[in-house]
Amino acid sequence: MRKIESTGWGRTLRSISSEFEPRSLEELQEYVGGHESSRGVIVHGLRRSYGDSSLNIGGVSINAAFLSGLTFHQDTEMVTVGTGVSMRTLERASLERQLFPPVVPGTGFVSIGGAIAADIHGKSHHITGSFSSCVKRIRLLYADGQIRDLYPQGPGADHFWATVGGLGLTGMILEADLQLIQMHEPSVLVEETRVNNLEEMLGLLSSSDENFQHTVAWIDLSGDFRGRGVVGKGNYVTKNSATKKSSPGKIKESASLPFPNIGGISFINKYSVRAFNEIWFRKPLTKGITSIDAFMHPLDRIQNWNRIYGGRGFLQYQFVVPEGNEDFLAHVLATMKDLGAASFLGVLKKFGEGSPAHLSFPKPGWTLALDIPAHLDNLEQALNSLDSQLCARDGRIYLIKDARLKPEFVPVMYPRLEEWRAIRNNMDPRGMWQSDQSRRLKLC
Amino acid sequence: MLNAFHSPQAVALIGATSDIGQSILKAMPHDNLDTCFVVARDPKRAANSLQEFLPSRTKLVKVNFQAEKTQSHRAIVDQLFAEGDLDIAIIAAGVLGNNPDLDEAANALDAMSVNYVASAHLMLLVAERMKSQGHGQIEIISSFAQTRPRVDNFIYGSSKAGLDFMARGLNESLNGTGVSICILRPGFVRTRMTKFLPEAPFTVNSDVVGKLAVKLLKSGETIGYAPPILKWVALIFKLLPTSIFRKISKR
Repeated sequence: MRKIESTGWGRTLRSISSEFEPRSLEELQEYVGGHESSRGVIVHGLRRSYGDSSLNIGGVSINAAFLSGLTFHQDTEMVTVGTGVSMRTLERASLERQLFPPVVPGTGFVSIGGAIAADIHGKSHHITGSFSSCVKRIRLLYADGQIRDLYPQGPGADHFWATVGGLGLTGMILEADLQLIQMHEPSVLVEETRVNNLEEMLGLLSSSDENFQHTVAWIDLSGDFRGRGVVGKGNYVTKNSATKKSSPGKIKESASLPFPNIGGISFINKYSVRAFNEIWFRKPLTKGITSIDAFMHPLDRIQNWNRIYGGRGFLQYQFVVPEGNEDFLAHVLATMKDLGAASFLGVLKKFGEGSPAHLSFPKPGWTLALDIPAHLDNLEQALNSLDSQLCARDGRIYLIKDARLKPEFVPVMYPRLEEWRAIRNNMDPRGMWQSDQSRRLKLC
Repeated sequence: MLNAFHSPQAVALIGATSDIGQSILKAMPHDNLDTCFVVARDPKRAANSLQEFLPSRTKLVKVNFQAEKTQSHRAIVDQLFAEGDLDIAIIAAGVLGNNPDLDEAANALDAMSVNYVASAHLMLLVAERMKSQGHGQIEIISSFAQTRPRVDNFIYGSSKAGLDFMARGLNESLNGTGVSICILRPGFVRTRMTKFLPEAPFTVNSDVVGKLAVKLLKSGETIGYAPPILKWVALIFKLLPTSIFRKISKR
């Protein structure tokens, strides 16, 4: 094993661990079953978690890349996929068969294992729920080296739901059966609307959920932070809505440009963000058929965009708060304004129903995700104060994005934590699966 | 574990009655601090001072420590890691070596035993344990006095120079382990230890040193001066011919 230094996507936390790259399942089973170090083991995929969920300082990090199988079942919409496969790969292979995952996140560069372990969500959450809604089976490697298939119902369902959203702390997910949806062509019929304030944005998001499969709003985090932005709504192109230009099964590849490594210099300041956001707000609105890639994964057009924040990195503060707490959203924007937390990425969406997973993030209400440069003065105290208010309002922070939450808030935000711990202790009595996040937040 | 703001969950202050040590702890972010190990000859007195500014949620673990009893150091360090990971250790134990009741040789022995032998020994022991956990920072209080021997403080300066040299070497050996050493080199600092001495140019309060020490920890740099201008003064001191240096260093 070689020592590697890794960071989360936000580049605020660094970790040196021993990288284990298994060549076969047998080798992996033997290693995990015989592992004895007190620093434990965590699995990593493509390292798109923002903080320390996939880091294991001083311990072992298993690279899941070798789990690359992809088998489509004949005459059904089911696929068996290795958890090292990226969402982007799965999407492309599925589209060749006119299929598509019903839930995809804002980037295609997450592994399927990570998608399950974080129970990710997408723009379709109000219709489809989170990713676990399409997971029909997982194959899990336990800490004792045994492998078991787990299903959402029946015996072992508690292990299934503790693993979904379980941040890799119950075992290593080896493969999954996913229920895909039929897709006429890799395009989305998009309709964008410019809104001038938060109230308009909330109203439009609420009213659009009935008629659109995908809804999301980009919110301008600069200037007066009043909540202006662009609401994007989309439906998959069907046979009826297709045009002559449509091309079933062929994905239109968008150009993907690398962001250069420029030695830790940050490009984010209130002037650069203000200029970018002004252009983005004023850009011609999309109305019509758009490539599914461009609609679902707009940030993937720039590789390593996280470097834009420089060496000190950034945080993504994503929370959900129940409906009726719209004043809290305005309060968060006002706080960001006071902090001078200008950012080009702010995303607002209304969630539908949550999943049965103990630590799954989504639940009915508003979710706001904000990228914030980590070096701002008083940011830690300000976010702690927002967390405290979130607890009082029955809200929660998305753990896969977290790099700074106080551990005492976790049981309040995730009231089923104790139940999850009991199942997790039963699945891994030795406490082998560990991460920097599990130690920092005292999850296990 | 440290969070994204470099806020520690567990810190040890070795030599916890030190004004500079306490100022460092005071300047550190406390929002996340679960445990503080108070390592001192009189840990109760030190803990009382720390309680004035640490949040009530921080658990203070009192550890008895006598610098000269080097055989006890290993057991002390074991205690610092008994409750989980230790994020930051500040080694602030130190004496000036100017006790009027002792002769020069005895004073030298005193300064060497505390400032060099005990501090370096503890630094090595803590570093070894941090290597096993794969992360951690040790901050030692060196001194501007180690820059070049001066008549009025060469005993103190030599003991700090030894510690400083050891720390730099250890830091090199720790490269790639996730553990690092920060070396703070303050000039004259107004503390209880120096209140009977005449002040030197660039004298600062311990609060200023505390803030600079925390900035150094966060920066990931190895060496920092307090105040920062002393970095350039040190450079000049090193380059000056002996005849001129003798004249300007006379006080």
